[in-house]
Amino acid sequence: MMEAAEPTPAQTTPYREPVASIVKLDGVVKTFHRGSEAIHVLNGLNFEVAEGAFEALMGPSGSGKSTLLNLIAGLDKCTGGTVRVADSNLGSLSDGALAAFRSRTIGFIFQSYNLLPVLTAAENVELPLLLTKLPGAERRKRARTALRVVGLEDRVNHYPRQLSGGQEQRVAIARAIVNDPKIIVADEPTGDLDRKSADDILALLVKLNTEFKKTIVMVTHDPAAAERATKIRRLDKGQLQ
Amino acid sequence: MTLTSLAVGNLMRNKFRTGMTVAAVAVAITAFVLLRTVISAWNVGVEFAARDRIGTRHRVSFVMQLPRRYVDTVRQTRGVRAATWANWFGGKDPRDPSNFFASMAVDPESFLDVYDEISVPADVRARWQADRRGVLIGDVLARRLHARVGDRVTLQGTIYPGDWQFNIVGIYTATRRSMDRSQFLFHWNYLNESLPPTRRDTVGWIVSRIDDPSRSGSIAHEIDRAFEQQDVQTLSMSERAMNASFMGMFAAVLKAINAISLIVLLILLMVIGNTVSMGVRERTNEYGVLRALGFLPRHLVMFILVEAIALGALSGLVGLAVAFPFVQLVVGRALEENMGAWFPYFRIDKPTIVAAFVASVLLGIVAAAVPAFRAARLTVTDALRRLD
Repeated sequence: MMEAAEPTPAQTTPYREPVASIVKLDGVVKTFHRGSEAIHVLNGLNFEVAEGAFEALMGPSGSGKSTLLNLIAGLDKCTGGTVRVADSNLGSLSDGALAAFRSRTIGFIFQSYNLLPVLTAAENVELPLLLTKLPGAERRKRARTALRVVGLEDRVNHYPRQLSGGQEQRVAIARAIVNDPKIIVADEPTGDLDRKSADDILALLVKLNTEFKKTIVMVTHDPAAAERATKIRRLDKGQLQ
Repeated sequence: MTLTSLAVGNLMRNKFRTGMTVAAVAVAITAFVLLRTVISAWNVGVEFAARDRIGTRHRVSFVMQLPRRYVDTVRQTRGVRAATWANWFGGKDPRDPSNFFASMAVDPESFLDVYDEISVPADVRARWQADRRGVLIGDVLARRLHARVGDRVTLQGTIYPGDWQFNIVGIYTATRRSMDRSQFLFHWNYLNESLPPTRRDTVGWIVSRIDDPSRSGSIAHEIDRAFEQQDVQTLSMSERAMNASFMGMFAAVLKAINAISLIVLLILLMVIGNTVSMGVRERTNEYGVLRALGFLPRHLVMFILVEAIALGALSGLVGLAVAFPFVQLVVGRALEENMGAWFPYFRIDKPTIVAAFVASVLLGIVAAAVPAFRAARLTVTDALRRLD
């Protein structure tokens, strides 16, 4: 009878499944034109983000962070190369298909919250669901659930002007997750907040990443914010350092 | 919440600006309604003309006279049930010469048969016919002159010079909108007998009542044919056509009023356009956010158009709410009492109400077209960049 072989040291290391890239940029070029002048912001950039990662993008102003974020989020198209996000080649999508991709796949968090002042917190969160065929009651239910996730279930009928900056950003996060997107892109999400509120928001992003398995790509200038990410990337002059 | 309620809700963002826009458009709508009502009131005489009446005048002009004997010939024409005549007197109240009203010398025996919309009791009619200086005045004129039955009044003649004494024997009302309720109707005989022999026995125009309105054209032709070989030829036409030809003398004025009402609409367009443009410009960043969330350019166009339509509709309704009492109760009443000869019935008609409301909504759409087009053409990143 054959005895089972003794495990080798390599076999004792816990097995980790290879993690697929949810974001993959190959040789991406992005050029802007100001009059006759061509400005090359990204020049042959290769970039990958593993599914379930929480990555922080840092770098000086003009380094191409926001441009990179816009390409990942499908807000802009690259001049050259390919951008694949969640199995979609964004360069091949029409404007309409790109809008549908954003609505399904991406959750946005902006620095200045960008809530609509005429809508309550619940209505702001419900906004992306207006593009779906969900009935009104279901939309409202999902909006309340999202607000509960961010800890604002008692502020559903408050207007943005009645909320603090931190609360407004929480509403914006609820709006970003209400569609259950695979990826959350956050552009300086703590840039307008005090330290305490910023910490709360970052804790919430960590929770979304660990508990809800959202892939997060965050642009930030704040080293403390970047510390909360599982990986920090530095960009300078359109190149990863 | 729906996309439409979201679009309409944008109107409440800047309540002061929306309020001022609504007020400005309401003033424009009031002006528009007033001008359109002037035109429609001017045409009341044409619109509400009796279908069974034919007017006969001198072929050359209204101001030239016809021989009195022509009335008898007209009465003998086949299809004519009754005929009467009148002369424009052009009298003025010496106490208030600027107070214009229609004063006419008419035949009391036949006039009320042809103009049966003039409503007077039988005893008043008999009294008028019996008194050579008797005069019937409309109820609107009676109020303006502060005159009552039994009063004696003096008019100064302009076409027929001199002071003319009259006894007010009755005050009439009217059963048809086109009838001027500020007329001064006295005996043609009183006028005729007072004239020098060379000016006697002439009439300004003849009016016939016919049996069959559908034959008005052929009867009018027959009347004119009867005088073809005479020194004075006639021109006969239905009352509607006659009133229209009379109104044609004021075509230039009506055209000017039409042009002004179009200018008012242009002002309305600019007021709404300015408000919509400012709102769109201020919200460019929000449009960027909406686009980022997955909304399409057509959604932005819809947001802007619905907002503009709501603004136009709200402004139109407020404008009509202001215009109605102002035009109907203030201006209309004043015009009917003081210029009843021109505006016997000065009321806002349904087409004007519909035109004012539709214009405010349509102009809202037109005003929003350019801002909506521009918003739809913005790229997401350009729109978002505006906020940072």
